[in-house]
Amino acid sequence: MKFDLHIHSCLSPCASLEMGPSEIVRRAVEAGMDGIALTDHQSARNCPAMAECAKRAGIRCLFGMEVQTAEEVHTLALFDSVDHALQMTDWIYEAMPKRVNDPDTFGDQPVVTADDEIVELEWRILAMGCRRTIPETAEKVRSLGGLYVAAHVDRPNFSVISGLGAIPDGCFDAVELSRTADAGEWIPRTAGYAVVRSSDAHNLDDVARVWTEIPGDDFSVAALAAAFAERQTSISERLTCF
Amino acid sequence: MLLNELVEKVRGTVVVDKPGAEVRYAYCGDLLSDVMGHCGDESVLITIQNHLNTIAVCTLAGVEAIVICHERPIPPDMKEAAEREDVAIVTTPMSQFEAAIALAELSPSAK
Repeated sequence: MKFDLHIHSCLSPCASLEMGPSEIVRRAVEAGMDGIALTDHQSARNCPAMAECAKRAGIRCLFGMEVQTAEEVHTLALFDSVDHALQMTDWIYEAMPKRVNDPDTFGDQPVVTADDEIVELEWRILAMGCRRTIPETAEKVRSLGGLYVAAHVDRPNFSVISGLGAIPDGCFDAVELSRTADAGEWIPRTAGYAVVRSSDAHNLDDVARVWTEIPGDDFSVAALAAAFAERQTSISERLTCF
Repeated sequence: MLLNELVEKVRGTVVVDKPGAEVRYAYCGDLLSDVMGHCGDESVLITIQNHLNTIAVCTLAGVEAIVICHERPIPPDMKEAAEREDVAIVTTPMSQFEAAIALAELSPSAK
């Protein structure tokens, strides 16, 4: 089972507007992925469209978001169902600044249908952190039956290591390396957690350029949790050029 | 304080210039939500947060110039955004504390 757990759609202000769920799915299938996860900043509002597109294309999908916590650390919350991802979104939205997004400053945030029609422009500033801490978020994700992954821990900004100096024990189910991270250098710094590598794609060319693989043919929270617990993930080589 | 005076005081290197820019206030912060909540107009932001989003937050807050400490490198997308949004970027070998001392004649920024 080969998958890319960290993909942004057009809802993320920093992502390309070409990142409609249907195009993401098409690209992931082309790249040979068995599963993907949609993880926009602070919101799962494009997950209903993604669920429909994934169903049409016959690719497995997890639903969630990239939560920017109170510590300004990027983390992935992943769920089997769109409903749980949307419940998580409501909980994050309650703790977001009430300031209205300025698309000229941060970027557009369209909520779309499976046919790429714009339904609404999200008004919150999804590029900003929320008031939920990492431990609070971990607890909420678990209560909704999800997985919690520390995102791009090798990055110099917005990662748990850059922000907090180390990866806290017991908060995460796995940690993610970015597409360029040197595994030999970074795996020793992952505190014994299972390691995944994902694309963090913000444009179509980057979808599934790197991936993670686990044994078996099930792509679900339970299957990933079991593989993480047994440290059975293998990751693709890093990218050394773009 | 004019930008060129500020650059001299922090022994800085101008990465993005804003000719004639003048600052009256200063704020130190690395968490962007904190910067957005507390940093106001006519300010210089002293930070290590060398990221594109720093420019967006500074644009909303009315920050004139950013001092990036420890000579952290400025990513190309951050530099481009600063040029577009007309926010000066200065890098300094100093820490945030040293830069704040060097600019101590400015007043604390507040909203």
